[in-house]
Amino acid sequence: MEALARLYLPGALTLWCALAFALSALWGFASVLRSAPGSPEAAVWREFGRRAYVFYALSIVLCALVLLLVLARRDFRVEYVQQYSGLDLPWYFQLAAFWAGQKGSFLIWLLWGSLLGLPLLASLRRAPADEAPVMGLYTLTLLGLLFILVRENPFLMLGSTPTDGAGLNPLLQDNWMVIHPPIMFVGFALSGVPFAFAMAALWRRDFDRWAARAFPWALGGFLVLGTAILMGGYWAYKTLGWGGYWGWDPVENASLVPWLFFTALVHGLYMERTRGRFRRTNFVLATLTYLSVLYGTFLTRSGVLADFSVHSFVDLGISGWLIALMGFFVLLSVGLLAARLRAVPSAPNEDPALSRGAFLTIGSIAIVTCALVVLFGTSAPLLTRFRETPGQVGPSFYNQVNLPLAMLVAFLLGLVPYLTWRGVEGRVLLRRLALPAAGAVIAAIVAVIAGVHSPLHVLYVLLAALALGANLQKTIEKARSGGLASSGGYLTHVGVGIILIGILASAGYDHGAKVTLERGKPTRLEDLTLTFIQSMPRVGHERERMEVAVETADGQTYFAYPKIFLNERTQQLMVNPHIKSSPLRDLYISPLEYDPGQAASDAVTLELKKGQSADAGDVKVRFDGFDLQAEGNALEQMQSGGQVTIGAVLAVERSGAPAAAVRPLYRFRSTGEVEAPPLALPGGGQVALRGINASAGAVQLEVAGVGNAATAAVPAKLSLDVTRKPLIQLVWGGLYVVLAGGLLAAAHRIRQVRTLDALPPSPRG
Amino acid sequence: MKHKKLYLLGAALLLGFAGFSVASFNKALTPYVSFEQARSAGHTVQVAGGLEKGSSSYDAAAGTLDFTLLDPVQKTKLRVSYKGLRPANFEDAISIVAIGSWDPATERLHAEKLLVKCPSKYQGAEVKTYS
Repeated sequence: MEALARLYLPGALTLWCALAFALSALWGFASVLRSAPGSPEAAVWREFGRRAYVFYALSIVLCALVLLLVLARRDFRVEYVQQYSGLDLPWYFQLAAFWAGQKGSFLIWLLWGSLLGLPLLASLRRAPADEAPVMGLYTLTLLGLLFILVRENPFLMLGSTPTDGAGLNPLLQDNWMVIHPPIMFVGFALSGVPFAFAMAALWRRDFDRWAARAFPWALGGFLVLGTAILMGGYWAYKTLGWGGYWGWDPVENASLVPWLFFTALVHGLYMERTRGRFRRTNFVLATLTYLSVLYGTFLTRSGVLADFSVHSFVDLGISGWLIALMGFFVLLSVGLLAARLRAVPSAPNEDPALSRGAFLTIGSIAIVTCALVVLFGTSAPLLTRFRETPGQVGPSFYNQVNLPLAMLVAFLLGLVPYLTWRGVEGRVLLRRLALPAAGAVIAAIVAVIAGVHSPLHVLYVLLAALALGANLQKTIEKARSGGLASSGGYLTHVGVGIILIGILASAGYDHGAKVTLERGKPTRLEDLTLTFIQSMPRVGHERERMEVAVETADGQTYFAYPKIFLNERTQQLMVNPHIKSSPLRDLYISPLEYDPGQAASDAVTLELKKGQSADAGDVKVRFDGFDLQAEGNALEQMQSGGQVTIGAVLAVERSGAPAAAVRPLYRFRSTGEVEAPPLALPGGGQVALRGINASAGAVQLEVAGVGNAATAAVPAKLSLDVTRKPLIQLVWGGLYVVLAGGLLAAAHRIRQVRTLDALPPSPRG
Repeated sequence: MKHKKLYLLGAALLLGFAGFSVASFNKALTPYVSFEQARSAGHTVQVAGGLEKGSSSYDAAAGTLDFTLLDPVQKTKLRVSYKGLRPANFEDAISIVAIGSWDPATERLHAEKLLVKCPSKYQGAEVKTYS
């Protein structure tokens, strides 16, 4: 009962209801499989399963709403709300706190997964034979997450009622953060659907139709996860000021690997739908896609990397659960694959070497290899765990290993649009590729002129440009002949060619320098002249900005406003770069350090114990004692936790004049801010109480204007990282093209499922 | 089998690539080592430790940051030298990872990269990379 009292019941109840309904749905769908096909009993169980699933999804929606509600009400009794939100957050960040922590992000993953089950359920109504096994398996994938949530309940309450929360990590206080993680989890959730289709098909030995049904879902996962990765990269580049869009960080890799498997799966399903090939492979690919999501989650959430990296993945004590979850699905899928895969009929490989089939096969192998090596690198801390010196691999590994793979893929992409299934003659192919090849040669020459000298890189540019050109030509040809709807694949490949060029240029040929600017002093940096004009104060929600005048080589001047400021709550230094984009390059100005400098001052600092005195200029100051009643009783203020004010009683003697009592104040706010107003001295000058050392019974005083020689002013200094990133616009632009192509393809495949549904049911159905 | 030779070629290529991957993996692997091992490693390693209070000095003209890492368990120390700007909040760091190699001439670990973790009451305490 004690455990129960520590839960926020409305939320916990929805979770338990969800668990009960999910188990019922599973029971219902399993019972359909146990009853005779077409029997009234089966129909009753099917209806039971459907309804239980709908109620389950409803419970999860309610659960998410309750969490949103406690966040909106800023109910800090709930531990999760206390840990990730605070009174200072605007409403949209308060809501984004939903997915700021482990528990909430599992909940949003589960929410999307549960919601996706509804259209899945609706689409399966027209395929009664598939419904129960697919829905049963899909519910099983959701149950794993649900168990974790019930165990690590987000509705745990604190024993007390704090007045404010700990706030949201300032790094996450960004508009991209509000939308990027939820989209990522849609992609993760989508990976469960092709998996459920594949497992159900193996289970039922119905190997023929799952590919068509799973295809749109796989394309959806490819699209959504791709969009999420794009947003994550854009966020890192635009606001975090780390200088790049990709760092091969374990968290990034954990989303890239499933996306690569999705990509391979999409190609495999295409082969299966058009040629009847890859029929066995696709079962494996659908499994790998889902398992890679689980494995990535395990790596980044369980804390296994925490010992090896300062990237803190806090262990919530769910490692065991994650391992159990992974183990269960590995056993299930490997068992089913081992038992049934041999029974899957597959068309023999009769593709000539120079044919679309052969190229697609090699390309898919390259993509899977790419996914596996990234997985391999990310797992380094685990793999080397039992070595004498465990370690991790840096970006150099990923760059080195992926370069040849990228070149292979580019080569295949360049030739594939004009290959046919039956194979073409080399001469015909060459004729068709004449125009794109000429374009690629020009691109390579331009690259050499622009400074690309490594032969490997020149070849890379040539191949990527060929991929771009050939697919562009094909897309245009298709569009002209009215086949735009089925040209999604070519359009996607145009985008891949663009991205490949953008990545090499922006990551391999960026150059920059770190520079420290003195305020008002123009400083040359290559062909730029930079002048730090001023630090601009905070205005409303607009944070402190630095104004830097940038004079370019052609004599034009513009102002850059990079931001650097201290987050008051966490005392973290936050940085926002300024990016000046032009078609050919971005100029990326990221602040590193700001030193406000010091105005000329004749102040002297004195440190005095009680009863001590010291000379400062033409005055003599004696510290007579603390005043604990300066603005109310200081001891009571300390206990109540509000603002504490302590005064110092000073006796100030000026040559000849009698000693005068001066009482400067020291106000210590509960937020940690300190206010120490300077106090005028009789006869000129001022004194301020700069610090209090309670244990030594001493004060630190700053006395100014009493006839001391002034020190020289120290100018304000701003350190910047100024980087030129050539052609980075191509990375974003190319990704948009990829996603547009993916959308076209998804629309095309959804139409095909409709056609399938319109056919008379298969005899087994 | 129609394409037996091609399959063999493909398998050989894949094997070759696997070898290449493992080789670059081993090369890129920067092991976490103790301060003692860092001194004798002779290649790039990473060490982690706390900042010894008051040990850091920054030479603004040369742009070098020198500091001492403290191993809280072994109670050993390691001098580190890093060329670059001083990371923000450096003095507050609760843990620092330095990636670099030992220079016997200066008796310092020359860091190419620093990972500085600052205190944060938040989960996923933030880490900044400097290189």
